Amino acid sequence: MAEDIRYGMVIDVRRCIGCQSCSITCKAEMSVPLEVFATWVKIVERGKYPDTQRYFLPRLCNNCENAICARNCPTQASYKRDDGIVMVDEHRCIGCKYCIASCPYDVRYINPFKNIVQKCYWCQHRLDAGILPACVETCPTRAMVFGDLNDPKSEVSRVLATNATQVIKREMQTEPHVFYIGADEAAMSGYEEEINYFTEPLYLPKVRL
Amino acid sequence: MEQPDINVVYTVKHQLPLIMYIGQYFFFTGLSAGSFVISVIATLLGRREFKPIGKITAVLAPVLLIIAPMNLIADLEQPLRFWHLMFFYNWTSPITYGSFLLTAYPLVGIIYAIMVFTDRQRPAKVLGIIGIPLAISVHGYTGFILALAKARALWNTAAMPTIFIVSAMVSGIGLVVIIAAIRLKWFDKKASPETKAQDKRLILQLAQFMAYVLMMDLFLIFSDILVLLTAHTDALEAGMLILTGNFAILFVGVELFLGALIPMILVLGPTRKSLSAVVVASILVNIGVYAMRFVMVIGGQTTPLS
Repeated sequence: MAEDIRYGMVIDVRRCIGCQSCSITCKAEMSVPLEVFATWVKIVERGKYPDTQRYFLPRLCNNCENAICARNCPTQASYKRDDGIVMVDEHRCIGCKYCIASCPYDVRYINPFKNIVQKCYWCQHRLDAGILPACVETCPTRAMVFGDLNDPKSEVSRVLATNATQVIKREMQTEPHVFYIGADEAAMSGYEEEINYFTEPLYLPKVRL
Repeated sequence: MEQPDINVVYTVKHQLPLIMYIGQYFFFTGLSAGSFVISVIATLLGRREFKPIGKITAVLAPVLLIIAPMNLIADLEQPLRFWHLMFFYNWTSPITYGSFLLTAYPLVGIIYAIMVFTDRQRPAKVLGIIGIPLAISVHGYTGFILALAKARALWNTAAMPTIFIVSAMVSGIGLVVIIAAIRLKWFDKKASPETKAQDKRLILQLAQFMAYVLMMDLFLIFSDILVLLTAHTDALEAGMLILTGNFAILFVGVELFLGALIPMILVLGPTRKSLSAVVVASILVNIGVYAMRFVMVIGGQTTPLS
């Protein structure tokens, strides 16, 4: 059924108001534990008073065509569905975290209860039932457009064809399938301040069995 | 390049995916590969005075390679599922090459050690020749693990596997020098003075070899850093992080100064005939290589991606 479908998403950042509705809906829909996120909105401030502006960048898994995480997964627990969604098989994942280290977008996380890697699946259970992903449905300004990129009549194809779009880290040759309209360059690149890992994590935590 | 007044108000902080278990695993496989190569060289040359070194290293290689993967299993979130690596392999993942190499190499190493100890020269030589590419690829693939995780600029260089192999040689020879010196000092009481003098000469020669390999290692690190500093923005950031940022003390101070420059002076300078100076140099070299693993594994993940 899914042979000629390739899902994709366009996020019109000009419409985003940074309300974090998508983050919260995602948490509720996918039971994402505390401290980890599958979707979030990065907020960047530019300029000095009175000339300032805030820019938002909703972040989620790009479900890349050329997914480096699925290529590097040693057990094929991460794999790409025919419709382009990169999945993680919960029963096969051994938690080596190599996919997290490989992902240029930092969208994978360890589920502290299940001790496996999880990510955004574009709500594949909802798509299979014929409804839109939770974040798309909940977005109050309709900044997110989701649909089949192979269907030229779908809304997402029309928006993609008639707007100037960007993707995050095009140079990583992963072919991301979340496209942004009017995203800020500073928000799309790395976090400016270095995180001091000497003070933050424990390097050798206790073994979890 | 500097953009005016940009302030990140909110973003999600991420946990460090690979912690020091991985660095320690790299360190132990490096020691194992280095000592195995020394052992095979000793066996292939087949001279009588090389025998003790050949035996020490033949034991060291499989023992260290039993310790090494324990770190990997301890690092897994689901340690009891480690067998998935063998049954659900994925040929595009460097970890899959590793799980097969890590099975084949200790087997060859153990059989080789038995042949060396029972003094069967021909099978020992054959197994040694089979084992050297295995030993090198067991360590080389760890370089590919980092190099193919392309998100991190510090890791994603073609020099990474070679740097890993060369630094493995350095640390492996260092460990052999330390253990051979311990044997000479405390466990070799019955030997005649001539054999003792010969053993000491051999240890000094090994240390000199270590210093030359260390020079090669320094050249590789130099070329890696030089390219990082002139490549794209993320690479520049990663290069500056280890040269002047949070990891400068470990990289410049411990890895380059304490772990490379001082040992080279001790081994090649006026103290080159002193056994204790050579042993101190070997210990320093091992500290330096451990620091290098730390800088590579932890430092590589410190530049945030989002």
